[in-house]
Amino acid sequence: MNNIIAVCRREFASFFFTPIGYVVAGMFAAISGIAFTLSLFDYSKMSVEPTAYGFNTTPDFAETLLSPYLVFCGMLIMFLTPLITMRLVAEEKHRGTMELLLTWPLRDRDIIFGKFLAALGMLFVMMLVIAAHLALIGRITTFEPAVLVFGLLTVALMGAAFISLGMFISSVTRNQITSGTITFGVSLLLYVAGNLGERLPAENPTPAGWPEALRTAAGHVYMLLRGLIVELAVDAHASEMALGIVQPRDVAYYLLFTAFFLFLTFRAFESRNWRA
Amino acid sequence: MVKYRDRKSRRGVSPRSSRLQAWRAGDSLLFAMRMLENFLFLIIDDDWQGAIVFWNNRMIEVKGLTKYFGALAALQNASFSVGAGEIVGFLGPNGAGKSTAMRILTGFFPASRGEARVAGFEVHEQPLEVKRRIGYLPEHVPLYDEMTVKGFLDYVARVKGLPRASRRREMSRVMEVCGLNDMGGRLLRQLSKGYRQRVGIAQALTGSPPVLILDEPTVGLDPGQIVEIRRMIRELGGTHTVLLSTHILPEVSMVCDRVIIISRGHIVAQDTMERLTAAGGKTLEQAFMEAVASDAKEAIGEDVT
Repeated sequence: MNNIIAVCRREFASFFFTPIGYVVAGMFAAISGIAFTLSLFDYSKMSVEPTAYGFNTTPDFAETLLSPYLVFCGMLIMFLTPLITMRLVAEEKHRGTMELLLTWPLRDRDIIFGKFLAALGMLFVMMLVIAAHLALIGRITTFEPAVLVFGLLTVALMGAAFISLGMFISSVTRNQITSGTITFGVSLLLYVAGNLGERLPAENPTPAGWPEALRTAAGHVYMLLRGLIVELAVDAHASEMALGIVQPRDVAYYLLFTAFFLFLTFRAFESRNWRA
Repeated sequence: MVKYRDRKSRRGVSPRSSRLQAWRAGDSLLFAMRMLENFLFLIIDDDWQGAIVFWNNRMIEVKGLTKYFGALAALQNASFSVGAGEIVGFLGPNGAGKSTAMRILTGFFPASRGEARVAGFEVHEQPLEVKRRIGYLPEHVPLYDEMTVKGFLDYVARVKGLPRASRRREMSRVMEVCGLNDMGGRLLRQLSKGYRQRVGIAQALTGSPPVLILDEPTVGLDPGQIVEIRRMIRELGGTHTVLLSTHILPEVSMVCDRVIIISRGHIVAQDTMERLTAAGGKTLEQAFMEAVASDAKEAIGEDVT
């Protein structure tokens, strides 16, 4: 445990020894601040004149402002996590400090969890910005505490998922740029998967001319893949949860996502034992 | 070609090993102290590995170590051992397999075949126990460039599990030993090659591990620093077991008790300085060239045991 803390401390501090921590936190603060301000303006217009925007009454605050804002923050984190995670392991390999890490009395888990926690620390810094925005809203109006708690939880879970993905990719690359680019690409792919899933027909698309047994079999495979693509989308699981409607499968999605890539990171570290 | 002989035949040859094998010199007090030290080691460590080290007095023991990188054999069937308190030099041309052997010993990567033990622990089976007992200076001295010297050494002390109370003391001790006292606040990025090397050595010394593995500790240093580092290593002998690699021949004669000559992955000779040179009236250069040249003929058919 002490080792994890030691690694995490150094890793987190080094975000701020280099410009990267300030850049990420600053960019997040600026962009989320603009988004927050704009959506607040929009909401105030809507609440003054709801009928002009297709609402019968004043629109629900959480539904029209808070939840979209939090999901947007999650997406923003998706764009920024490659910057956090790209250096985590790739940099150590590139400049050779991996040799120190692996010959100091550390277990793989000390290194991996230490680095993961440090990246979560950066996520926490970003969430402080969100918390500041939410505190501002709290001055203006009241809203359900559940929205607040689960909204932040959504952002945290999304961030953790992207960080573990990024850390895995960083641990199989040597070059930070490669690592960051691949992480960004895969994240984006997971994001557009939702759009792709929506377009896929919900019924069996196999031609009617096929034998019945083959049709059924192909249909099952198709439905499985379609389900996978629909469920894979990272944002699909966020919007409801950000409203305070928490379903186990949404939470499980992010937790399993995180655990899966942490597991792969462990395997990537162990690969030094069997790779020549 | 000088080959490795049983330990018994070497007794009393080198000044250092004669100190360790105190019963030969009749220095019973030293012997008693060593017994006590080993006994404490046994109790404190609370394991039988300590007993093995105690009985055969070998801190590093390597048997039939082989490492392939793809089809290339960087190390072939290498066997050697280093006794407690000895300073042993790993000598060989570039690319001979010195770093490979050291990296296996420190657990950076595993061997393809063979066994390596440090303080009685197999490096691949019990890596953590081995790593706790090793201080390692890697070849190119990789450091976290964005940290300060003090920050880095504090991190090393934390990672090596030193308790909070002794961390500061240990840090000032290693900085003193390595002559880094005025450099505490400097960024590692700004240090010259010589000072980087010192920080690397300080990092290895942190926690005073019983075994030190130093990969080319004097490369890139100016003559004054080289003398200083050599003196430092000599002082570490006796209390620490030191395995260092180099391709500077005079360095070996100045620093080491014993030499292991390695060429193209084969261990071609290992003996004390005296036996390698004085026995045939040869200089170390001649002994080295002979050993390396004989490698091509001999080592293929016959493994050094």
